[in-house]
Amino acid sequence: MFEESITVLVFLLIFLGFGLWLQDTFLNVSARMLDVHQSVPVLMLGLAVIVTLIPGKFDLSVSGVATLTTFAVVGLTVKNELPFPVAVGAAVAVGLGVGLINGVLVEYLNVNAFIATLGTGAICTGLAAVYSNGAYLGATPGTPDMPTWFRNFGTFVNKPPVAIVWVMIVLAVVGAFFVVDRFRPAAWSKTRWLVAKSAMFVSVILVLQFVTLLSTWVAQVSWMLLMLLLVALTMAVLLQYTTFGRQLQAIGSNRSAAALAGVRVRRQVVKSFVLGGFLAALAGISIAASQGSASPDVASAFLLPAFAAAFLSTVVFSDGRFTVGGTIIGGVFVVWVGIGLIVGGLPSTWTNVINGGVLIGAVSLSTAVRRRRT
Amino acid sequence: MQDPGSHTLEVDGLRKSFGSNEVLKGINLTIRSGEFIGLMGPNGAGKSTLIKILAGVYQASSGQIRLGGRTLTSLGDTEDVAFIHQDLGLVDALTIAENFALGNPPQRLFGPILNKRAERTSAARALGLVGLDLSVDTLLSDLTPGQKTLVAVARAMDRGARILIVDEATSTLPPRDAQGVILSLAAAAAAGATVVMVTHKLSEILEATSRVLVILDGEMVRDAPTHGLDRAALVEMLMQHESDPHNLDDASHQTRDPVLELRGVHFEDLGPIDLTLNAGEVIGISGLPGSGLHDIALLVNGTLKPHKGEVVESRPRLTRALVPPHRESQGGFGELSIRENMALSALGRWRRLSRVLKPRREELDCARVASELSIKPASIDTTFDILSGGNKQKVIFGRALLLNPDVFVLCEPTRGVDVGTRSEIYRLIRELARGGAAVLVASSDAEDLFSVCDRVALVADGRLQQLRPVSELSTSELELMV
Ligand SMILES: Nc1ncnc2c1ncn2[C@@H]1O[C@H](COP(=O)(O)OP(=O)(O)OP(=O)(O)O)[C@@H](O)[C@H]1O
Ligand SMILES: [Mg+2]
Repeated sequence: MFEESITVLVFLLIFLGFGLWLQDTFLNVSARMLDVHQSVPVLMLGLAVIVTLIPGKFDLSVSGVATLTTFAVVGLTVKNELPFPVAVGAAVAVGLGVGLINGVLVEYLNVNAFIATLGTGAICTGLAAVYSNGAYLGATPGTPDMPTWFRNFGTFVNKPPVAIVWVMIVLAVVGAFFVVDRFRPAAWSKTRWLVAKSAMFVSVILVLQFVTLLSTWVAQVSWMLLMLLLVALTMAVLLQYTTFGRQLQAIGSNRSAAALAGVRVRRQVVKSFVLGGFLAALAGISIAASQGSASPDVASAFLLPAFAAAFLSTVVFSDGRFTVGGTIIGGVFVVWVGIGLIVGGLPSTWTNVINGGVLIGAVSLSTAVRRRRT
Repeated sequence: MQDPGSHTLEVDGLRKSFGSNEVLKGINLTIRSGEFIGLMGPNGAGKSTLIKILAGVYQASSGQIRLGGRTLTSLGDTEDVAFIHQDLGLVDALTIAENFALGNPPQRLFGPILNKRAERTSAARALGLVGLDLSVDTLLSDLTPGQKTLVAVARAMDRGARILIVDEATSTLPPRDAQGVILSLAAAAAAGATVVMVTHKLSEILEATSRVLVILDGEMVRDAPTHGLDRAALVEMLMQHESDPHNLDDASHQTRDPVLELRGVHFEDLGPIDLTLNAGEVIGISGLPGSGLHDIALLVNGTLKPHKGEVVESRPRLTRALVPPHRESQGGFGELSIRENMALSALGRWRRLSRVLKPRREELDCARVASELSIKPASIDTTFDILSGGNKQKVIFGRALLLNPDVFVLCEPTRGVDVGTRSEIYRLIRELARGGAAVLVASSDAEDLFSVCDRVALVADGRLQQLRPVSELSTSELELMV
């Protein structure tokens, strides 16, 4: 249990350190939640890449897909003056289609996943540029714009009813309550574990509520964050508690053994690419909603942070597996560490240096802790 | 040539814990030159852990290791000691001589020019020691598994090892190859080397060793000279209830409907193969490595598709489960838990209409099968990787049990499992047949054939010989067959 939580503990200490150092400029709930709100596309792409990382494949096309789908949503409404639902439908279709092509290339034509998805990603980014003549696309006076509800959905100031957020959080906590059973020490009896576990959950929740004022954070959850939460919960269930998810894990662990155990390996991997493409399209739609326009290469800078979040998930409450919760937590903390330093006076051009440093630091720390135990 | 006392291996109060799990609870040992030690004990007793500590793979929590009076942290870096694990550490793409040269300080003519000739003569001499009549230029990939093991032994001797420590090197070998390995180890011991061998095969202990050590639950419970022991005494030492392999309930074969048929099947060098599996019957096939024994099993399972001929299923959507022949590479998922490993093939059992699995039911079912197979450690959330060899085998067997298919295809079902579990697996296989499943056992272990099978046949020269009822065969006939 300790090895699996060490990175999270370090994250919390860093957060605390920033709080003590920068006081209210950092410990500003609304500003910190705004950071997370703005990272929704990155986190969504992080979820998109873990779906294929679990069966052991890299999908580098997700940022290209996100760029292309942003242009599809914005361009088809603004430039081609199509009804908005058609534009969104086209964006989703692009995501699914590119995912399918990736899957077929990798599984049936045996192209290395790195190369195949590097190629399809480049094609997507390129098509977006061709479509827009390499220029910015957005509503101008006289052209139709995306519907107001969609723009509201993308802005931080519009909040969903708090009750809905609470329901989702309760669901996530209940889920986590069962998931941690994996870490029960073999020597502990069921009742002892149940008591310890409940005590731990209650104390964590109490600390969250009274020390960090959980409810003020919850009140800042925007519509887009709510959507991310919903997608994350669905994905967590999908990856842990369905045949598809279990089979993906098995494929990633030992492909030939999975085939011998009756898993239809190729099919499932293709499906995972399709799902990854779908999530990348959701990321693109989120970009369109929050920015209200599409600029060239808009998502390409998100690729590395998305992979960083995905790989951080292997050391956040995890024994080396890619997890949904870890991707979100890891991704958010990377953002906060970066922001903390910037608030503290570091020029914002340092963001990538910090991202890279956090990734390497967190993964090597937790590997070192785990190594020491044998 | 050397003072025999200088190679006495002493182990004193050796303890090892993984987290809160104490695996070795104070092991004491003294082994003198020329002894051939058989190390036995149930799956998960701690045999491999002891050997890995000696080899320096793990660090002991406390205790001492002494070689010839010197205290060492491990024997791993000592030239006098060689370890032969199941994974032999040989490279398939290289020749025997090149494999010998790997890891040795290069013999040089002058400058950077290697003295290939010296390497080859010393390799040839070592091959002679283990009785292998092969050119040193043979590629490793052209050897049988048994020959590879012998090459590993020869390499250890070539490096001047005086102590050979062998962990289940024979469990994956067909009997004749295993015999060869045991004989050359015995010869090495007779020539003054010390041999420590882990095995689950009683016959190997009786045939070759001079002393038997038994580990139970991390404690050395018995230490006795082999001389004067027999099979029954060994079984008793292992404290397992003895199985009576011959009480097959022949009366209970009510239904014998054909379930699956191979008709004139050809695959690579195999064929034509005709084979019918019936509900409620256990069919055993055996053969030498390279005979295509496991290919037939994979054809039955549908993993391999015949080049010619057909596989006829008696009903649509016939379910089949496979225990694959190579546990490490084809069987398990190292990073996943016991539960996830066992549940994989049978996930459909716990699927709701919404397609989300019922985790509690899954957990209960997996825990039940795990305890039926007495998998250790008992927690099904344990990672597969850290299980002992025999327990890995049980988990993979458990996966097939959970699926509960119409046809079981079991390759080497008892490879590396201890005496007690072996009889438990036999009992389970009989029960499967009684429950109406068709079972195919493809094994190179004669005991598997005469303990559970109704009819058996040999694969030779690409053909499957006539199936014969086991009751008509004597044990010696069966052992000759294999
Ligand atoms: N790295 C590890 N971490 C935790 N537990 C371990 C580790 N390695 C082994 N164990 C545990 O130690 C026990 C002894 O394992 P070991 O491999 O020594 O058994 P063994 O006697 O060789 O059994 P077998 O006959 O099945 O090979 C097992 O219960 C196993 O799960
Ligand atoms: Mg072992």
